[in-house]
Amino acid sequence: MTSFAVMKNVLRRIVRDIRTMALIVILPLFFVLLYGNSFSGSYSDLEIVVVNADNGLASVRTAELGRITLAPHLASAFVDALDPKTFSVTTLDDADAALASVGDGVWAALVFPSSFSNTVVNEAVRAGGRTRVRFQGNTVTVLPSDRVDTPPTTLVVDDSNPLIAAAVLEALNVAFAKVLATQQSSLTADSLLEVRPLYEGKIEMLDFTAPGIIGFAMTLITIMLTAMAVVRERTGGTLTRILIAPASAWQVTLGYTLAFSLIAIFQAAELLIASILLFHIRFVGSPGAVVLVVFLFAVGLQGLATLISTLAKNEAQAMQFVLFLLIPSIMLSGVFWPLESMPAAMRPFSYAIPLTYANSALRKVMLTGSGLGELGFELSVLGAIALVTLVLSVLSMRRQAYTA
Amino acid sequence: MADEQVVRAEGLRKRFGKHVALDGLSLSVPQGQLYGLAGPNGAGKTTLIRTLCGLLRPDEGEARLLGWRMPNTRVRSQLGYMPQDFAVYDDLSVMQNLEFFGELYSLRRAHVRERADELLHLVQLSDRRRDRVGSLSGGMRRRVSLAISLLHKPRLAFLDEPTAGVDPKLRRSFWDYFSALAEQDVTLVVTTHLVEEAQRCHVVGFLMAGRLLTQGTPDEILRETGKTNLDDAFIELQERNEVKS
Repeated sequence: MTSFAVMKNVLRRIVRDIRTMALIVILPLFFVLLYGNSFSGSYSDLEIVVVNADNGLASVRTAELGRITLAPHLASAFVDALDPKTFSVTTLDDADAALASVGDGVWAALVFPSSFSNTVVNEAVRAGGRTRVRFQGNTVTVLPSDRVDTPPTTLVVDDSNPLIAAAVLEALNVAFAKVLATQQSSLTADSLLEVRPLYEGKIEMLDFTAPGIIGFAMTLITIMLTAMAVVRERTGGTLTRILIAPASAWQVTLGYTLAFSLIAIFQAAELLIASILLFHIRFVGSPGAVVLVVFLFAVGLQGLATLISTLAKNEAQAMQFVLFLLIPSIMLSGVFWPLESMPAAMRPFSYAIPLTYANSALRKVMLTGSGLGELGFELSVLGAIALVTLVLSVLSMRRQAYTA
Repeated sequence: MADEQVVRAEGLRKRFGKHVALDGLSLSVPQGQLYGLAGPNGAGKTTLIRTLCGLLRPDEGEARLLGWRMPNTRVRSQLGYMPQDFAVYDDLSVMQNLEFFGELYSLRRAHVRERADELLHLVQLSDRRRDRVGSLSGGMRRRVSLAISLLHKPRLAFLDEPTAGVDPKLRRSFWDYFSALAEQDVTLVVTTHLVEEAQRCHVVGFLMAGRLLTQGTPDEILRETGKTNLDDAFIELQERNEVKS
């Protein structure tokens, strides 16, 4: 009953405070709008320059018909296949000028030699592709071609930004694959590598970052709110007053935990619903699993915040300490880049951060539809963090009341 | 019951770093006594009250309230404490403050309302009960704080400067109320800087540098110091002690 009274009191005071309510209701939306519009993981309007000197008309020798023309103009097909959203393509005639333009706003220059179509087709045949192809309703046998020395296709990429350079290369590859698939299906190495995604539906970069961003927004808001509330309760003297009443530190802490967990669950729901409605974030798992993850995560966060408030003399100091907790949470929890990409020496720090587990669990639920059974590890770590910080924050509450 | 020592402290010693806040202080207050704690700023009055209530652990000595060694949770429901700072929720109304603390003391809603009527009448805030405490003046907030401290009808209450910033007329009615409570066998320990308040106490203890320099009825203190009013008596006590140290 006492915990319930404390919870009600905390919530009532928050609801009456317009600024705090704004923080709780508007900040998550702000987060969603910002990350949805900026962390899409896809690139647009990357400027590239193309010099297309390809003569076209790729031909091969066949046993039955002599030389036949298979692909009319591969370089043009390739240029057409470039994703118009990703690239903004300028066509030039001068190869040297094209190559020289890279770096100054132009991310890549691609120069197709005159023999491009022929080289591609002959190389494909020579490399042991299909020896029998369909041509005008007949199946004909392709004869291996001799290797001819031809000038190479040149690609210069501005690699000052590795992320963009990688994206340019990937998008070019996609265009190549498209050309090979559509131009002359009989010539593609269709069974060399069959890519089978594990999960249905494409997982976009935004889907991948969304769970972490949601967890991070929760971390930010829950820790800030709790630390400020506890410091205010202490410096205002009401904490002492509560604890001199027949309310134990346990009951008070539990009241706080209930209040802030409710707020955290509300926020997580808001973040999720807004992300799904506005940016069609992937969510294939069960909402119940998310609620459990969020609850355990929130209890741990509010415990940490209570501990922070022990160290802080006033609200301004509390904010400074909050930053110490937030910065590692962004950098080390695997929200933006995978833990696997971190140096081994840093990983123990990652494993000390609650967001690492919340992020991992939310990703599993949202991206791959994992159930509670598959979240055993994350849930037990989050539960352990929650329990330990809860016990510590009870001690901290007691200390704060008695030393205020 | 009448001569039961409700407050009993022996050899209380408390330091904060190098500063000695309580220096082997002993004190006892029988039931139904209105005990005044006087002394200059920094004499240790607040530290003494916080130690007696169990909010601070003494380095040495022990404090007992209602027979229980402090800190003790069993005393809490019978203990009233009004801290020196307001210790009220500015963002809640007067009534919501009372209701919340009423819940912590497991008081029934109807009972809280009844008590609130009585106490808000005493502190003259009946017409402000729906107002946000933050919109009240400093003196009014202190009055809310007093109402909260007495809400659960404690048998023993520590009131740390309950009348600071309260106007003279209301101050007088507060002390009338304290006297009435004492007559109902409620024990009150009240800190004050004001002579006319000290005069209304059954017993006054004069505290300085963490020690109880003297203790007695106002008349006894006047006799001991050879003065005609308590102001002069307190100054005399303070100066005597300063010469000694």
